[in-house]
Amino acid sequence: MYEKNGEKYFVLDSHLHFWDASPANWVPGAEEFAKGWIECFHAYQGLGPAETHWSIEHFQKYSVEDFEKDVFQDGHVDVAVFQSTYLKEWYTKGFNSIEQNAELLDRFPGKLILNGRWDPREGEAGLEQLRADHAKYGIQGVKLYTAEWYKGSRGWKLTDPEAVPFLDTCVELGIKNLHVHKGPTIWPLDKDAFDVSDIDHVATDYQDLNFIIEHVGLPRIEDFCFMATQERNVYAGLAVVIGGLMHARPKFFAKVMGELLFWVGEDKMLFGSDYAIWEPKWQVEGFVDWEMPDDSECADYPRLDANGKKKILGLNAAALYGVDVPEEFQAAGEPAAQEDAQLVEGPA
Amino acid sequence: MNLRARVFEALGTVYDPELDEPITTLGFVGSCVVDGDDVSVRLRLPTPQCAPNFAFLMAADAAAAVRTVSDGSVHVVLEDHYTGKEINAAINRGEGFSDAFPGETAGDLRALRMLFQRKALLARQSRLRSTATKLGELDGPDAERCRELRRALGIDASDDAPAFVTGDGDPVEASDVRFWRMASLTALSLETNGGMCRDLLKTRYGEVAA
Repeated sequence: MYEKNGEKYFVLDSHLHFWDASPANWVPGAEEFAKGWIECFHAYQGLGPAETHWSIEHFQKYSVEDFEKDVFQDGHVDVAVFQSTYLKEWYTKGFNSIEQNAELLDRFPGKLILNGRWDPREGEAGLEQLRADHAKYGIQGVKLYTAEWYKGSRGWKLTDPEAVPFLDTCVELGIKNLHVHKGPTIWPLDKDAFDVSDIDHVATDYQDLNFIIEHVGLPRIEDFCFMATQERNVYAGLAVVIGGLMHARPKFFAKVMGELLFWVGEDKMLFGSDYAIWEPKWQVEGFVDWEMPDDSECADYPRLDANGKKKILGLNAAALYGVDVPEEFQAAGEPAAQEDAQLVEGPA
Repeated sequence: MNLRARVFEALGTVYDPELDEPITTLGFVGSCVVDGDDVSVRLRLPTPQCAPNFAFLMAADAAAAVRTVSDGSVHVVLEDHYTGKEINAAINRGEGFSDAFPGETAGDLRALRMLFQRKALLARQSRLRSTATKLGELDGPDAERCRELRRALGIDASDDAPAFVTGDGDPVEASDVRFWRMASLTALSLETNGGMCRDLLKTRYGEVAA
């Protein structure tokens, strides 16, 4: 939890990782891809404040103790969602497989939510694995990474016919939160890999499932906003928006937040630190302090008050994952309370 | 003007199709070596995982642009990219995208390029928003780029043509709130991506891009 100016924030980090990208885990023959991938992530960390940058060695593999300190001790995070990402063509044991992530569950009881994953190209074996992961870990959600390489294929779409049995199985088992992450490759390669129209189709067809679009569809935020505004069950995952823009490009951050608040709304936006790309501490503190600028370019955008920040930092995700949040962290329901808060804070 | 300067000028006409900015101002031209009539250009991108289709378009467009000013050998290399091997081999054989990735494409890149030209047109127009009704009333770099994009898309770019059009070429009313909201959102998307690309390129290569 985080407390500032008398407001208490329950922080549910909806997107973070415990990965091993050290050279010992690189697939022989695929070293350049494994190395390039983690160096690319490391470059993204460069968009955060300088004092939060890590060495590449530390970034490739960090310890459980690092994780505990950065996320739970210093990072204000109450509950975190592990997004399993495999990339087994590049990383021998996987980048962060469900088994790797599960090892931390016992160490932090009640604080971690484990998500699985599936890939429609794995067919029947993949379905069996999904059922097994659900039986073993009781997963409520999955991370879907459409740009993963698999036996000569460089990606997939949610509208591929092979995805249908997986989506049906999610409905059947109650795996209702699908975190979709678009990447740079997909078949066929001449199409726009970041196109989100496949999500639009399945969100319409699968009303019992929630689709959390990671990094708000960046770099296709215009397509994402237009789609999200029409679909009741599409959510904006803010990983990369806060980490990648709030410090490096504050003006763009304000405008992107403004557009998201306008098109998607504060009830459907979820904080995600994307740790270990960025530590949660500066993101949570900076976001609570952030205000929509008063300049004319932002005049049309909705404002975000402490209640809205409480929803985005934790309450919205808590509702999706059935996490009980104590009363003291709830958003105030009465408009009068908002006015009081403004009076207490006084003019900036 | 010497050949190197002409090569740089030619490279300035090559746009990142996704960001609608010249590769020279984005800092994507890592080096340019002229030896007699022979030209060797090295391109570099913000991440090793930048989308292969856009990377291919920039490398192919760069090779074509340099060939318009040099009669010697032209060598364009995309460096530090996870599909660089495939792309470089195809570019230097003068082949297309589907030759670079046999079996992995369904068509050529024309439709992709046009999709992003429409987005770029939308974004540029949002910066030009005014009461103008004829294209001839608009001037400046954004207006010039709009004319180029309209011509590329087969949309009338004459002075008497409507000032503002949809991506399909239909005239837009100044009061069409939805169009302008989408246009400014598209502009923001392109600008945000461009900013992130610049920041990542700087982190990767340690130099400040223009």
